[in-house]
Amino acid sequence: MPSLLLEIGCEELPAAACYEAERQLPRLCLEQFGREPARLLIGPRRLASLVRDLPEQTEPEWIKGPPEAMRERAAAGFARRHGVDPDELEVRDGFLGIELPGRPLREVLQERIDAVVRGLTFGKTMRWDDSGLRYPRPVRWVFAKLDAETIAGHHTFGHRFTAGAVEIPSAEDYPELLRAAGVEPDAAERRRLILEGLPEGWSDPAGVLDEVVHLVEWPTVLESAFDERFLDLPRDVVVAAMQSHQRYFPLEGNRFALVANGGDPDVVRAGNTQVLENRLDDAVFSFERDVKVGLDGLAAKLGAISFFEGGGTLADKADRLAKLVERLGGGEATLEASRLAKADQASELVREFPELEGRIGAEYARLVGYPEAVCAAIEEHYLPDSAGGPLPSTESGRVLSAADRIDTLAVSFSLGHRPTGSRDPFGLRRAAIGLCRLATEGGLAVSRALLEGEVADFVEERYEGLLDVPVEFVRAARRSRVTELGQVAELAKALARLEDDALDRLHTAYSRAERLAGKAEGVAPELNADLLVEESEIELAREVARLTPEIQTALQRGDTEGALRSAAELGAPVDRFFEEVLVMAEDSAVRANRLRLLLDVRDAIGHVGDLAQIPR
Amino acid sequence: MTGLNYQDMISALASYWAERGCVLWQPYHTEVGAGTLNPATFLRCLGPKPWRTAYVEPSIRPLDGRYAENPFRFQQFWQYQVVLKPAPEDVLDQYWGSLEAIGVDLTRHDLRLVEDDWEAPTIGAWGLGWEVWLDGTEVTQWTYFQQLATMDVERVPAEITYGLDRLAMAVQGKSSAFELEWAPGVTWGEMFHENERQWSIYNFEEAPVDILLRRFDEHESECRHLLDHRLPLPAYDQVLKLSHTFNLLDARGAIGVTERAARIARIRNLARATAQVYLEVEGERAEPAA
Repeated sequence: MPSLLLEIGCEELPAAACYEAERQLPRLCLEQFGREPARLLIGPRRLASLVRDLPEQTEPEWIKGPPEAMRERAAAGFARRHGVDPDELEVRDGFLGIELPGRPLREVLQERIDAVVRGLTFGKTMRWDDSGLRYPRPVRWVFAKLDAETIAGHHTFGHRFTAGAVEIPSAEDYPELLRAAGVEPDAAERRRLILEGLPEGWSDPAGVLDEVVHLVEWPTVLESAFDERFLDLPRDVVVAAMQSHQRYFPLEGNRFALVANGGDPDVVRAGNTQVLENRLDDAVFSFERDVKVGLDGLAAKLGAISFFEGGGTLADKADRLAKLVERLGGGEATLEASRLAKADQASELVREFPELEGRIGAEYARLVGYPEAVCAAIEEHYLPDSAGGPLPSTESGRVLSAADRIDTLAVSFSLGHRPTGSRDPFGLRRAAIGLCRLATEGGLAVSRALLEGEVADFVEERYEGLLDVPVEFVRAARRSRVTELGQVAELAKALARLEDDALDRLHTAYSRAERLAGKAEGVAPELNADLLVEESEIELAREVARLTPEIQTALQRGDTEGALRSAAELGAPVDRFFEEVLVMAEDSAVRANRLRLLLDVRDAIGHVGDLAQIPR
Repeated sequence: MTGLNYQDMISALASYWAERGCVLWQPYHTEVGAGTLNPATFLRCLGPKPWRTAYVEPSIRPLDGRYAENPFRFQQFWQYQVVLKPAPEDVLDQYWGSLEAIGVDLTRHDLRLVEDDWEAPTIGAWGLGWEVWLDGTEVTQWTYFQQLATMDVERVPAEITYGLDRLAMAVQGKSSAFELEWAPGVTWGEMFHENERQWSIYNFEEAPVDILLRRFDEHESECRHLLDHRLPLPAYDQVLKLSHTFNLLDARGAIGVTERAARIARIRNLARATAQVYLEVEGERAEPAA
């Protein structure tokens, strides 16, 4: 059976587009050619699929017509439209229809190829002519071979500058002949060549490798070194200069590796070294100017920089951070750090390398001689910078990070910037997840009172995804009386750990009390001991009075297990109460008092959460 | 020196693109932050009419000045601007040819197209394209316009903006723009070093904020007045003056971030209105009323 090569030739695609195509081509080829590609050959200038063992015939196609019940009225028209006799229609699943036989693939190949080309979708596209095609960059050729037969286009193209058009006698020759023309078409092979070529000790903190794989068609790793005088710059700055613009891989000391796509190695190495030194020169210039102003001088400029529209300036933000740090129990160092945390936003280096925010501020704080706890808090307060990234390692860093997140969330929500669907331009989900993790993994006491209204809901909802427990347990725990964010998580986990029958008893006691008394009218405002007559109601009242403070104290201690144990003790007396006592007594005063007792039961258990959220 | 000097490089680019049907335009007489703002690009890329042009543009960006203390950052730098509307199919090959025309051996150097999408909020414009790397140096900004004045372009132009200073540094193998040979025996530094120093002082220290704020309002109302009288070409100059006034205020640190967005929106609205009136007037000229 034949092999098909399909190559979509593009002007240099962004790496992200290459990965998008890589994900979609298997499905598209399967749909259109009946086979997934045996090989994907993807790079900046070509999205190619090599499909082997192509079926000779396409799959038969079922054309669904009108329901069988409408045969009288609709069959003739449907049959005529498809050029068959009404008697030839078949019935499947109650519908009339016809099965079109498979066709020789060769006959439909052209349109199927077109369907693949048009079927790829990308996040960011453009138009370039009147073809109606939208791609990340212009498509300049489509080339297809079915074994030795040319189906579309004429030839492919080799390396942009060292090879021209390349004739491909047969589909299977494509990878080898492109290699001979200076193009390694297989991204995995290019990645392997890069990894093999990178010298010992290479690093890639900014993660540029995935992009570099699609910035070259013929990777050549070159090693070079910049002038040692730049080693006086903070290492972060040097690494950022190498990575953020130039996509180099830092090596030890002043050495670095770059991946070229061709050229004379000496010329290319010299040129790139010069560029890097120019950038480092620029960084030295900015660094020296920043240092001259000093961190406190930079902090003094924050009044002129807006935090974001409607959210005041960064100086306002620093004031709010200080208040939050106090409420979070932060010490003197953290308080000092809150004043300086955003100072580097006024620096020239952060304008140049935004990804260095925090780290540059800490560097400048160290140069001025601030205590290490202050510097560390400044450095770490952007952590965690991804959903699963590391937390600040210092207490001062954790407090400042929490304060920063609480403030950003509060200001954003107050201005109506609520994330919707996948749109979250201010990174509020990440901020909320970070805050949740600081409260759990970080062990930071974050009072729930610091989160207001919608913000509290938004933050606590993050635990539904973060904790490995069914969401209902999180929802139940969120309605508990715990006062700290981290305790919500602890409680949700403790609830989920409960044995089934323990949970059942709690749940039954809670929901029976709630069902009967929750919406009842004429409930006594307070329990009157004199009106308790039956033995089991007296016992229940005694147990509620004993256990309620126990539950409260346990929760205050952060002992969620203990609180649950105490709450569970109410199960037995509640059962007896329901067996032996008629709540809806004739005497309205007695009735009101019993309803009150049930509400007290509900509220006592309710300290550990709204158990009605948990389906039983 | 190994490669072409600066002025020969400009001449070579001009002849190359003239041979490919470009009208050799000239720099505009009003300050622009980029060659894109020259009416030869911004206005002529509107509408359906084919257009090809090439010209040098001194680009004025007050905030980028460094008092002539930094050999790569200037408040005035030089662009060579080429616009091909609509973009021909072989436009990239034509571009590579232009590098060869100024003496760049494409097989000795490492040339790369690196994703870099362009956006200019003050004129409501964006496009997709690349920065072109020559051995790691960005020597050209390459853009297929998609929107201008917040309107989809009718025919997609290719805009090729060479950064002449960096390109010359690569061609001449110099590590400082000041050392570039502009003409035999004359360096870039001799011509512009003092210029950078004085203008940096003006941009950062002496530009009169009160007067600039007043001018901003004046240019805005003058632009509206001219649009009311259906004079989009003079009106467009007011848009450029607004834009430059904004840049000066920015360099003086006189614009807060909130205010920045508001002022950018004011310029963008006028750029859009100017573009619309320009297209209307052009349409009327093409089809005179019977």
